[in-house]
Amino acid sequence: MLICDEYLTPGTLAEAFAAMEQNRGRYRIVAGCTDTLPWAREGRAGDVEIPMLIDVSRIPELRELRVDESRVRLGAATPIQRFLDDAALARALPSMPRCAVWFADDQIRALATIGGNIVNASPAADATPCLIAHEAEVELAKNTGGKVVRRRMKLDAFITGPGRTQLAEGELLVAVDCDALPGYGGSFEKVGHRRSLVISLVCLAVLVKLDSQGRQFEDVRLAIAGIGPKPVRLTEVEKFLCSGPLSAERLEAAADMPVSLVASRTRQEYRREVVRGFMLRGLLNAVRRAGADRQALSGELEVAYG
Amino acid sequence: MADIHLEATINGRKIFRSAKPHQRLLDFIRDDLNLTGNKEGCGAGECGTCSVFVDGVLMKSCLLPVAKAQGAQIDTIESLAKTGELSVLQKAFHKAGASQCGYCIPGMVMAATAALRINPFADREEIKERLGGNICRCTGYQKIFDAVELARDVQNGRLPASALLETDTGEGDVIGKNVRRIDAPSKVSGRLKYAGDMTMPGMLHVQVLRSPHAHARLVSIDTSAALAMEGVEGVITSADVPGEDGFGVFVNDQPIMARGKVRYVGEAVAAVAAEDVLTAKRALAAIKVVYEQLAPVFDPDEAMRVGSPVVHDYAPDNVTKHIPIRVGDVEKGFAQSDLVVEETYSTQAIEHAYLEPEAGLAYVDHDGVVVIVSPDQNITHHRHMLARIIAKPISKVRFIMSPVGGGFGGKEDMIYQGMLALLAMKTQRPVRLVFTREESIISTAKRHPSRTLLRMGLMRDGRIRALEMKMICDGGAYGMSTEGVMRKAAILAAGPYVIPNVKVDTYGIYTNNTPSGAFRSFGALQTAFATESHLDICAERLGLDPFEIRRINAMRDGATTHTKAKLGSVSLMRALDAAEKASGWEAGSPTSRGATRSDLNRGDSRPACALGARFAAPGTQEAAE
Repeated sequence: MLICDEYLTPGTLAEAFAAMEQNRGRYRIVAGCTDTLPWAREGRAGDVEIPMLIDVSRIPELRELRVDESRVRLGAATPIQRFLDDAALARALPSMPRCAVWFADDQIRALATIGGNIVNASPAADATPCLIAHEAEVELAKNTGGKVVRRRMKLDAFITGPGRTQLAEGELLVAVDCDALPGYGGSFEKVGHRRSLVISLVCLAVLVKLDSQGRQFEDVRLAIAGIGPKPVRLTEVEKFLCSGPLSAERLEAAADMPVSLVASRTRQEYRREVVRGFMLRGLLNAVRRAGADRQALSGELEVAYG
Repeated sequence: MADIHLEATINGRKIFRSAKPHQRLLDFIRDDLNLTGNKEGCGAGECGTCSVFVDGVLMKSCLLPVAKAQGAQIDTIESLAKTGELSVLQKAFHKAGASQCGYCIPGMVMAATAALRINPFADREEIKERLGGNICRCTGYQKIFDAVELARDVQNGRLPASALLETDTGEGDVIGKNVRRIDAPSKVSGRLKYAGDMTMPGMLHVQVLRSPHAHARLVSIDTSAALAMEGVEGVITSADVPGEDGFGVFVNDQPIMARGKVRYVGEAVAAVAAEDVLTAKRALAAIKVVYEQLAPVFDPDEAMRVGSPVVHDYAPDNVTKHIPIRVGDVEKGFAQSDLVVEETYSTQAIEHAYLEPEAGLAYVDHDGVVVIVSPDQNITHHRHMLARIIAKPISKVRFIMSPVGGGFGGKEDMIYQGMLALLAMKTQRPVRLVFTREESIISTAKRHPSRTLLRMGLMRDGRIRALEMKMICDGGAYGMSTEGVMRKAAILAAGPYVIPNVKVDTYGIYTNNTPSGAFRSFGALQTAFATESHLDICAERLGLDPFEIRRINAMRDGATTHTKAKLGSVSLMRALDAAEKASGWEAGSPTSRGATRSDLNRGDSRPACALGARFAAPGTQEAAE
């Protein structure tokens, strides 16, 4: 049970900072609350008494969404459901709608926020690999001597380990900026203990751009989570895929490459098998959506993994 | 504590109320507004029985701090049939027989309502996906999906409204016919009151202090600080039991609360009744218990060894029950056999996970009758036991069975009703206890974990000559239904097969694990898993088709089982034929078939787990692929 004496819903960033300033050491920031409430239960944190909860989900700046030709800005309190409902967002972030479908059920997606998923820094966070593949940067803000000071850093540098980030005391995650990749084929693969509403054992985000004939990779972005302490970008595999024409053999060779990266604490054998299968299925789905020349791919591979 | 001044619209009515900052929207609508149609099943966003609309968007109210409802329009299950007339979806749930225990149904109806609002033409796959956040433990979901499809088609005019009407056949003509469930309207509307939905004026809330140790002596329990707290009306321990303590299904080995020592993690040690749940929780923290840890035993094989820790003094060998069965001479049978196969099988503990966590309400009425209302699967037996425990004549004890929000055997034990009775007697006020999901999981009985050594002797043609089974089950800390489960396991050990020589021993063993108890099939699952797996292995060794080996040994009409039951009719052959046909079975022994099998990956077989049905809607890129 989560017990608080006060639940504050600031309407502006300034109000939020003022409350944080006045209640140093006795507050917790919440947004969607979909992680916090289950956390404060028996078997996890148990009954938790926090004097003040500060709910930042109604601050307009944190709900802002901007999509232009090259970049996307996502306010930290953007609900995951927006990646399914907003056509412009879906176009600019091609693997995100599929990530959102796997992320949770319809009901939790309406509450859970992108910022919450990032700040929790779960090694198996679903949205993080997608964002890392989009070269995401986080924007952090802090009130220092009555002035709001902002800093930015790469998302994969921001997350330092399981549940750990570079977020400083008194600092808020305000927004995430990332590449807009319209025209890319996107896919997202995930496996957990049940179909809906489950944390990933492994998840993989794939973004692919092909040439106009659909035979050559122009750009590949791959990021994986659940296989080690934090999500990782698979740059070696990306380079390998871009170094030659699209073929079933190239996809199969690429699929083997990240298998050795599995360094999670449990079920390593299983995860290695999953990684290879996900790489093949994820790449196949992404290249198809990117307009691949079907003759470049073997039918056998499509039957097995498509 | 800074209360929240909440302005919101609930089911079309404006409300101005103060709420506690720690309340969830679910607490507020259920406790403050008495809208108990939506339930709590897990409190962690997993099960969806609390699903409500917030500004038209479906959300899980157990994940919403009440402050998030500020200025919002909230619609609960009660909003759907306000005038008493059920919605099309509710009627469809009734018609399709989609409600069983009913506890998940308010959430299911809400999720289905949301699904058809978002996509009035959603196909079955999309419906499944949109209901993916809601759990049902009774139906297997098919009737729920049938109901949503029926409602969709009626709403779209593809089916006439009459498709929702009753089709009951005449009186006395029910076997083989669809009969409408008379309790469905109360379930699909949320009007049915489960124990956790019930309140009484002046009612107190109960919380239970549970043991953190698997095996420890209770040196002392000091409840004075808890009792001194404002709002605390009563604290009980085993010292408050006035009569002869001890309950169980076969042996009365379990005290109302731990007496002398605790035997498993989660065992009740003390209980508090207070004005509200939070005060009761804080009082628990003020109870001082001194434990002296004892060596625990967690493995039943180890528990059977001489010198292992003893869980109950009356059973120094830790054997709760041993059931031996002997037919013929197995050693002779093995000697006559062409092949003897020996394997070990094990099964694990399983939680029932009924959607309704345990809950109960108790009071002492005007005639001094102690009344317990709870989803109790065995009230008559419990009434007799409780009368003895609280030292009252049977006429002064009354059990009322509230609707059971799923039981599956898990609500057959009297594990909390005694505490409620004692607290109602002590405080002379109504008291209510509602378990959390976590509490339900740690403290209530599970399916018996088992380890089975199975030896079977067969002739080359597949006939079984002898079966020897030794099954050891972890009964956990208390007897509960263990004896019955061991009996049934032994009775069903040899399966529906003619076997001339049988030797079966089933053992239920005390350990310091969570008690094992009744669970659907009651011991049959464990032995059937062993025997049937074994038959497949034997078929492979003999080069026989797995169906064939079963037909060769199948009991026929008039057979006598190894426990001397004479069977008038045996439907095994029909069942085998039906299973073979339905599975598209490719005949042959497991060893003779190649890498590709015609009975796998058929067009009508279940596809691999996937999500994304919504992307396949007409006109999308996916649909074109």
